[in-house]
Amino acid sequence: MRNTLLILGIFSLSFAQENLQELRRQLEEQRRLIRELEKKIETLEKSQQAKPEVKETTRPSPADRSLQLRSKFEDRLKAYQVSPFKQTAFLPDISFILDFSAVGRNRKDEEYKELKIPRLWHRHDDEHGHGLLNERRGFNLNYGELYLYAPVDPYFDLYATIPFSEDGAKVEEAYAVTRGLPGGFQLKVGKFRSSFGRLNAQHPHAWDFAHQPLPNKVFLGDDGLVEKGIGINWLAPTPFYLLLGAEVLQGENEQSFGYKGFEIEDPNTHNTFKVEDKPVPNLYLGYVKTSFDLGNLSLLAGLSYAQGKHRHAHDDHGLDAKTKLYGLDLTARYQIDSVRYIALQGEYMFRDQDGTEYEFENGGLEQKGVNKKQSGFYAQLVGRFHKQWRAGLRYELINKNDVKVGGNKVSTPDNLPAYYAMIEYSPTEFSRIRLQVGENRAFYENGKRKPVKEVILQFNFAIGAHGAHPF
Amino acid sequence: MLRVFALLLLSLSFSLAQLRVVTTYPWIGDIFREVGRDRITLHVIAKPTEDFHFVVPRPTHIAKLRSADLLVINGASLEIGFLPPLLQQSNNPKVQPGRQGFLDLSQFVELIEKPERVSREMGDVHPEGNPHYFLDPHNIPSLASAIVERMCLLDSPNCTYYRSNFEDFQRRWKARLKEWDAGFLQLKGLKVVQYHKTYDYLFRRYGIETVGTLEPLPGIPPTPKHLERLKKEAENKGVKFIVLEAFRKGDRNSQNFANQLGIKVVVLPQDVGIENARDIFSLFDEILRRLSV
Repeated sequence: MRNTLLILGIFSLSFAQENLQELRRQLEEQRRLIRELEKKIETLEKSQQAKPEVKETTRPSPADRSLQLRSKFEDRLKAYQVSPFKQTAFLPDISFILDFSAVGRNRKDEEYKELKIPRLWHRHDDEHGHGLLNERRGFNLNYGELYLYAPVDPYFDLYATIPFSEDGAKVEEAYAVTRGLPGGFQLKVGKFRSSFGRLNAQHPHAWDFAHQPLPNKVFLGDDGLVEKGIGINWLAPTPFYLLLGAEVLQGENEQSFGYKGFEIEDPNTHNTFKVEDKPVPNLYLGYVKTSFDLGNLSLLAGLSYAQGKHRHAHDDHGLDAKTKLYGLDLTARYQIDSVRYIALQGEYMFRDQDGTEYEFENGGLEQKGVNKKQSGFYAQLVGRFHKQWRAGLRYELINKNDVKVGGNKVSTPDNLPAYYAMIEYSPTEFSRIRLQVGENRAFYENGKRKPVKEVILQFNFAIGAHGAHPF
Repeated sequence: MLRVFALLLLSLSFSLAQLRVVTTYPWIGDIFREVGRDRITLHVIAKPTEDFHFVVPRPTHIAKLRSADLLVINGASLEIGFLPPLLQQSNNPKVQPGRQGFLDLSQFVELIEKPERVSREMGDVHPEGNPHYFLDPHNIPSLASAIVERMCLLDSPNCTYYRSNFEDFQRRWKARLKEWDAGFLQLKGLKVVQYHKTYDYLFRRYGIETVGTLEPLPGIPPTPKHLERLKKEAENKGVKFIVLEAFRKGDRNSQNFANQLGIKVVVLPQDVGIENARDIFSLFDEILRRLSV
């Protein structure tokens, strides 16, 4: 009996001891919590000190009683809703880029619209998307671009670029890229900016100037060479960078490639002439790019070639030709220190077009052999001299514009330059204000040169998850 | 001609039987030099003279990534401005995130200054926390150990070699750690102004107080208004140094600010390979030496 009591006593004692320990542990836990809370308060106070302008985030309750009740109900509903299949963790990277500009120009909008670059470029009816940037005098909403990226699965990445104009949207790019092909290969399918040359693959917001240079404009178009198709590239296992690539594309570029047939009509006799669609795919393209480092100097050079048919018609005349396009690009960037650099970039393009021109003249259809040999280049020097400041100069020139129709040389201007200077201020990587001035002497109207002088103040902002740009 | 080219390619791809490692920063490379020595080939992307946030994504790095077996990064979004396009263009499935050939070292340390919420109005904040964790010498052994584990996974024949090198490294490191602890603890209570929160891990460990940063917000260059306010606070608290990362050496804002306060700018190496920091050991030696004047 006594023994049992003793045992019981010991038991209860040890139990009390345990309880005490438990209490101590809890106390310790409480202390820790308090310390953590204190820390949190401290950091909160600090962040408030740092930014006193932070607004109150609690919503004011609506004055309307029924609204109040409804919002209360909705809140409660939310609390009860369970989302067992929530997939927000799989949201892709989403970003939105706004490009806005104020433009001053010595030509009225009506006059500017009518300007042409003889035998090289004329205005096409505008579509949504990027199209012509800084088109009107005064304020321009150039585009608001939605950008999406995410891995599809272990095998593919998907990218989409959807620029919105004020009136609508267009899918500029939507393509998938392989993630895991062996042997240094990468395959791309969908609609994408072609890797022809240097600037074409870059999005407008990554450009160093407010618009693209003349050779890109006249040979690849205002939207650039953006096509549906398949691309493959192979990175050579060399100690230096050597990339070889090929693309098979639909070939629907307004400037150099087109597979769609056409029908032209004599305005007097109403006779018609029809040319059928060319077989697709219509555009084949190859490129080589290589890069070396010499100390702080990085060199990147590329050679590109594209060939395809070009069918194109306007009113009572049409063209059925074969286009060969050659491109050469070179970039040299010298890094002065961790912030400052100076970069020289240039691109040369040569287009050789051979075919037949159809035209109704004096009641009959005339067919004439056409041969065009045209080329141009741009060279730009851009420097960053402060973390937030960059400046640059660009010279563009169409230096060759030889056109032969029916074996006879057509008189065309072949000295078509443009030059620009820009200075830009980027408070962060996500915002940029750029001032660009320059003159374009390539535009003509009725055989007369009409120099266009421009001042552009461009604003570019990016929000959301936007990937870094390549070199 | 074609045959010569093919032969060249073959010889290139087979001559390197060693583990081919690419690291983003020199300090990671230096750990590899310690544990891998002559049995690995190493390419480091960032130069110590480059701002670690803004490394130039040169295409030559793509060529090195193409043949890499292992890519080791700092992580915590420090490489976000240059590594994703390099990786995307590398055409190398082995080193993509999620694969064995990809190692993010920030997973092995407790990050500080993790923000409750992030918004770009707060400047260049990293949602994961302060990414400059390696400047606390106590973090290095566990990081080196994570590296060795991964090397063993990818190159098991050399595992014992790597491990014994690691043991050796760890022994030497622990010995030096005692010296550093003693040295840095002498500096306890020292008050400094940093340009950017680069040395927070180090300073927090040893009780060195950062009164403020010259940047008003991470990644935003100093503004006159902010410097004016900081000047008052620095005067009140008795700040002794302006601490500047070596890649910012010669920064006029810091020098002017220091002149106004009548104090000195101390340039500290922020990575291996700059300002007398020959290796990861002398990196901390040099930081200690320069702060101890």
